[in-house]
Amino acid sequence: MADGPEKKVRTRMEYRRFNVFHRWMHFLVFVSFTVLVFTGMPLKYKDTQWAQWSMDLFGGVTAAGVYHRIAAIVTVFYWTAEMVFMVVMVLRTRGKMRGRIPLMFNKKDLHDIVGMFAWFFGRGPKPQFDRYAYWEKFDYLSLVAGTVIIGVTGFMMWFPIKTTEVLPGIFLNVALVIHSNEALLAMGVIFIFVHFFSAHLKPESFPLDKVIFTGSLPVEHYMEERPLEYARRVREGTLGDVLVEKRITWKTYAADTLWWVITVFAGFLALLMTAFIIWSVFD
Amino acid sequence: MRALSTLPLILGAACAAAVLGFAGPAAAAATASDPLTAADNEACLRCHASADADEMVDVDGEQESIGVDREVYESSRHGQLACTSCHIGFKPGVHTTEQTDGWVETAMIGACRDCHADIFQMYRSSFHGELVFGQSNGEAPVCADCHEAHNILPPDSAEFRAGIDDLCAECHEYELQTYLDSYHGKAFHLGEEKTAVCSDCHGGHKILPASDPESMVSEENLVATCAQCHPGANENFAGFLVHVDPQDPQSSLLVWVFYAAYIMLIAVVFTFGFVHSGLYIYRGFKDGLYKRKHHG
Repeated sequence: MADGPEKKVRTRMEYRRFNVFHRWMHFLVFVSFTVLVFTGMPLKYKDTQWAQWSMDLFGGVTAAGVYHRIAAIVTVFYWTAEMVFMVVMVLRTRGKMRGRIPLMFNKKDLHDIVGMFAWFFGRGPKPQFDRYAYWEKFDYLSLVAGTVIIGVTGFMMWFPIKTTEVLPGIFLNVALVIHSNEALLAMGVIFIFVHFFSAHLKPESFPLDKVIFTGSLPVEHYMEERPLEYARRVREGTLGDVLVEKRITWKTYAADTLWWVITVFAGFLALLMTAFIIWSVFD
Repeated sequence: MRALSTLPLILGAACAAAVLGFAGPAAAAATASDPLTAADNEACLRCHASADADEMVDVDGEQESIGVDREVYESSRHGQLACTSCHIGFKPGVHTTEQTDGWVETAMIGACRDCHADIFQMYRSSFHGELVFGQSNGEAPVCADCHEAHNILPPDSAEFRAGIDDLCAECHEYELQTYLDSYHGKAFHLGEEKTAVCSDCHGGHKILPASDPESMVSEENLVATCAQCHPGANENFAGFLVHVDPQDPQSSLLVWVFYAAYIMLIAVVFTFGFVHSGLYIYRGFKDGLYKRKHHG
């Protein structure tokens, strides 16, 4: 596969969708979320055999609790970093963005939802999307908001004495109910209905959308997927900022293989936990 | 826990006394010709530990086996005691009615009281003891129901603690379920040994209803009970509801409201996600979108 130095290196124009920060954030979310799910869900579904397997895998309830807390600290770290990044971005690009924050819901999203359902039933064209489609905004915003909810309740239970110096004890009961059900909600959104669907199962991405790992994708693909953002960049003259000439070498293929392995592993874990929970519900 | 922590000391003392050949009041109750040391247990085990000792006898209307597992008994806390320390008055050979009359009560309560008098006093004044010995004549566990007859385990051993849930649940099923849904119970269920079990909060021998000021879970004592494991526990902390069923509005309305709200939210989000994803995939197939070449 390796290209000789004198051989002409194959290149491809790519659209840089995610920068290094985005990619690292996703990696941290991916790792910590998986650990949190596999150390936390066994407690929620304690009556099942898989709960015992998962706990034993981590070396018992106490050890699993330690991993859960380490992953929680990683979560606090990435959430804070993301917020700082957001504030810096908004401050830096205020003039250019004219108050437009791409991850916030707006009126167009409402039209897009209606438009998508019309398209599902063959009564209209597929809506065109800007940088983020409404399901991606939902995915992101539910994670940002959900992290606050699950984080606050988690820390309440981590430090019950401190919590009850301020709040009545029943808030610890409420914290458990919120923490455990918010976890189920987040898991469903990430593992099944929104995240894995939009990254793997929807026709534009099937079987795998690698862009969060590679950072960029062929320009023509992106033009097709997010025509509005492309058109906007052309209009504003900022297309040059995001175009990169990607050298296709053996490293590209090696990296692609690695992304496949990581994704298949993550997909396997997600399917496994989903199956476990369905098993518990019907058990 | 306070009650339980004294038990090993007393049991230890009793064992030491037994080993030294001083079997206490039990010895006084038995006649001189009776075998009193473990060495003499052979006469009993010849029949009761033999292969065909699975014979069932009628004991107060219930069929019970007469078999004794020699290994289990000998490795138990009382393994060095003579059989007749508890089965007072029994003699080798086919036992006569004179010997067996009332032996269940003698063996399950009376024999214990002879050595463990102070623990018996605690038990006697407890909710369970009052049910058994008081006016109501109710049903409640006696010594051997929790400690078994021939397999007595140290009460602070992991093995004994691991079985406490089943013991209490024979009567307190609802409380067991709500306990198992709490963090203590979940950890216990999944094999964690360092977590509170029933007796850590309610006591072992002197279990009393929360309304009794002397109870470990009474308003007066609850903070101290929690503080055994949670140093710095305060009144709010003790207000945490261990036995709460989130699915039952009568258990705690506040907890139920959050539970119900989340169930509805989850149902709405999952339903929408399911329909949206399903239709998207359907349209993808219908329009042949899956056949096109995608990202490299």
